[in-house]
Amino acid sequence: MKTDVCRVILCLAVLMLPAAAASAAGADNDACLACHGNRDVARNGGERLYLDASKFASTTHALIGCTSCHDSVTAAHPKDGSRPTKARCKECHAPIQAEYAKSLHGAKATCNDCHNPHEVKPGIAASGDYLNSKCAKCHDKGKTIKSHSKWLTQADLHLDSLPCVTCHTGSKSYVITMAIENKTPGDPHGDFKTATYGELGALQPINGDLTRLVDKNGDGFISLTELREFNHEARNKGMRLWGMMTPETVTHTYQINEKCWDCSFCHASGPQAMQTSYVAFPDKNGNVTRVAVEKGAILDILYGTPDFYMLGTTRSSTLNIVGALIIVGGMMMPVGHGTLRFLTRKNRKEH
Amino acid sequence: MKHTEQVYLTPMPVRIWHWLNAFGIVTLCVTALQIRFPDYVNIFGTYKAAIRLHNTAGVVVSISYVLWLTYYMFVARTMLKLYVPTFEDIKSGLFRQAFFYFFYYFKGGPNPHHSTPDSKFNPLQKASYLVIMFVLLPLVIFSGFILMYVAPLREIFIVIGGIKTLVSTHYLIACCFCAFLFVHIYLATLGHTPFAHFKPMWNGWEEEEVEDGQGAIPGAEPVPVTEPHGVARNSGTTETA
Repeated sequence: MKTDVCRVILCLAVLMLPAAAASAAGADNDACLACHGNRDVARNGGERLYLDASKFASTTHALIGCTSCHDSVTAAHPKDGSRPTKARCKECHAPIQAEYAKSLHGAKATCNDCHNPHEVKPGIAASGDYLNSKCAKCHDKGKTIKSHSKWLTQADLHLDSLPCVTCHTGSKSYVITMAIENKTPGDPHGDFKTATYGELGALQPINGDLTRLVDKNGDGFISLTELREFNHEARNKGMRLWGMMTPETVTHTYQINEKCWDCSFCHASGPQAMQTSYVAFPDKNGNVTRVAVEKGAILDILYGTPDFYMLGTTRSSTLNIVGALIIVGGMMMPVGHGTLRFLTRKNRKEH
Repeated sequence: MKHTEQVYLTPMPVRIWHWLNAFGIVTLCVTALQIRFPDYVNIFGTYKAAIRLHNTAGVVVSISYVLWLTYYMFVARTMLKLYVPTFEDIKSGLFRQAFFYFFYYFKGGPNPHHSTPDSKFNPLQKASYLVIMFVLLPLVIFSGFILMYVAPLREIFIVIGGIKTLVSTHYLIACCFCAFLFVHIYLATLGHTPFAHFKPMWNGWEEEEVEDGQGAIPGAEPVPVTEPHGVARNSGTTETA
């Protein structure tokens, strides 16, 4: 019965070609997902036939619709005896494919080895862990740490904190994308995780607009003052801003950015590499909205973020002053005592 | 009349420890300057070089600390006697010594403390070395060690209160050591000659001036008064560790 329903719906879906409007694509997708979004399909035909409807809905591919790529699907599917064709990535992404083919990875892995077309996320919505999990499918973490340790101090810490593509990129510039993190309600000692749309909505932002949690004046732009204010408030609410440094331009060349050999490319206060930043807010569809932050040394502001410390980059001005006073205090002994010693030298000669 | 006596005050293991410690701490202070302010200071060429040298110097200081601890605890067994202030030291010795440094010294008065192998340090030295060697140095070594292995020791950071607590502690104690360096080196020049207290840290022998009427310093060998040692000065202090 269910198959018959699918067949009828698919007949209708095939009639609506990929060039149809997004709403039409949505209806088209629903017809496919009626079966392929159900776990039963995996039991009957294998795991590869199942896709997570919620993850698929947040991809760009959902906008163009299933039949844009699987265009040979017939009204009789799945009982027509033929397997629907799959579009090849290069049909739409030719320049990227050409770039990738020339890279070291070109002969080693296909697009699908890293990108699941039914779950692919925009770069800004992908966490560092998510990005690195793709690399880890081939690159053993232990071996990667060992090879990086030959030149990189605390390689394990760097590989835990950064996406691989931060250094292995053809991009010449970088952005820092910050997200609001919180702890799971009821688990104050747990780890921080990215706050969900619902959790941030519960904070009752102005007009229900999550961006107004940080962008107080609603001008669509976050000033360093607004960022500092939010970061200060966040601490009292068990939240934090957490940033990820990624290449500004997505490339598939994977060459090493030569600047990364120099530690002070990142480890310096307000380095040139870290002037462009955004705050990413989740939206109800599972995507993210990115709001630009005023250019500047945002990592200095993040010094107030719990557990965020970057050697040479984030340093407390107050501690700098206290430290300087301690050292100057020590210097006062030779200077002050030494002066009096010089002035009273005759007293000691008399003895 | 006065004569000088040579006292074997600083055995070789202590001298080795002292100079390892001294070069280590100076290296740590200088490299730390570049590590904290890389945008203003570049002494060692690259940031990585500064960090590696800092880590190496930290290990050297840690090893020399273990040497010092082992020597005084298990070989000489004089740690308590030398480093822990007595009740008398706390009650009056500290004030007497401070009064000498900040007032009586300028009037040309004699140092109330004379070093012997069993009582090398005056009460102020005892108190400061006690805090430095048993509180500050272990803390800075401990925090430095953990900061060298952030990823594998992440759980320790959580127990301690986060990486910033540890970094701030490490930094502030390091500033105290830097301040101490200035005080320490300056006070070491307050002997009867400016270098009188530097010599024993090189060859072990301290030259003490003693009134002829007084008994010999325990463990000391009398030497005839000759120039320039014969020039009477009563300003000798002991500031060597």
